[in-house]
Amino acid sequence: MEITERVFLKYAELKAPKGVIKVELEISDGAISTISLSGDFFLYPEEAIEDLERTLVGVKAEKESLLAAVVKFYRSTKVVTPMLEPEHWAEAILKAAKG
Amino acid sequence: MAKWQILPLRVDDAPTSMAIDEALLTLNSEGKLSNTIRFWRWLPSAVSLGCFQSLEREVDLEVARRRGVDVVRRITGGGAVFHDHDGELTYSVVCNQRDVPNDIVESYKLICGGLVEGFGQLGIMAEFKPVNDVQANGRKISGSAQTRRWGSVLQHGTILISPDVRLMFELLKVSPEKISDKFIASAFERVTTLERELGQRTKIEEVRQAMATGFEKVLKIELLQEELGEELLALSAKLRPKYASNEWLRKR
Repeated sequence: MEITERVFLKYAELKAPKGVIKVELEISDGAISTISLSGDFFLYPEEAIEDLERTLVGVKAEKESLLAAVVKFYRSTKVVTPMLEPEHWAEAILKAAKG
Repeated sequence: MAKWQILPLRVDDAPTSMAIDEALLTLNSEGKLSNTIRFWRWLPSAVSLGCFQSLEREVDLEVARRRGVDVVRRITGGGAVFHDHDGELTYSVVCNQRDVPNDIVESYKLICGGLVEGFGQLGIMAEFKPVNDVQANGRKISGSAQTRRWGSVLQHGTILISPDVRLMFELLKVSPEKISDKFIASAFERVTTLERELGQRTKIEEVRQAMATGFEKVLKIELLQEELGEELLALSAKLRPKYASNEWLRKR
């Protein structure tokens, strides 16, 4: 039987200026198919973390696409994350995607 | 001068304390409860987890089980905290959002300023370290976490008096590496306690008094001693099962 490794779980941590972002994700055909974000950061309002995760599903696992998706999320939701910028999320996710 | 209430020091299990804090926040936002400060202790000792943290990745559950330490998830973000029954005091500040700066870091700074003032009274030069810490001699002596719901603010945090720091770092997965003496030594360098700074143990009641006075001074308020009302106790009892549930604990 031929094994095609198209979906697999990946994990990475990024030490940001405030807190550590932990990312667990699956990539399918170059895009995020599932993602879970955790860590000791602050994000207001708290429920927005789930919206952020949902927003990221389907996004291509490359720097520009990830950053664009997170920046758009910040603009549309007015989420506040002290000492944490969209770049940090994008970097953490990219780190996980690269394995 | 604005009058806030201060509730008596309580000693509760983790889900009860978490439920009381959420009930305070809810009732304050509904205009049914004046701005409130309370101090409390944990029995049994517990680890509280930030609302975004992964349970399995942050806490050594086997150590917690073996040492009889409870684990609970907070509604506030931030990091995992070990609340040692014998060596730690926790505070909560609940107020209308209008009574603190709108900017989140500024509001942490104001409320943590009460702690800085309190540490000063106890003989320790402390300073606010953004976003949410208070440091003494460059080491963390207090950490806080804040949430805002429905127009009100809840900020709660830990005051390290004389906790078992070795157990703290056995419980908290600070690093995937195995706990070694060397690791404990380096982690210990980033945290300090009242006992360590003063060279002696301070009574919990003395710490409570100093911090209450610190809050009064910095927030320019007068604290009136009140009891927990029936409505607060009833809502706390209603909210407690969530914090005791596996579903909430294992959310992430």
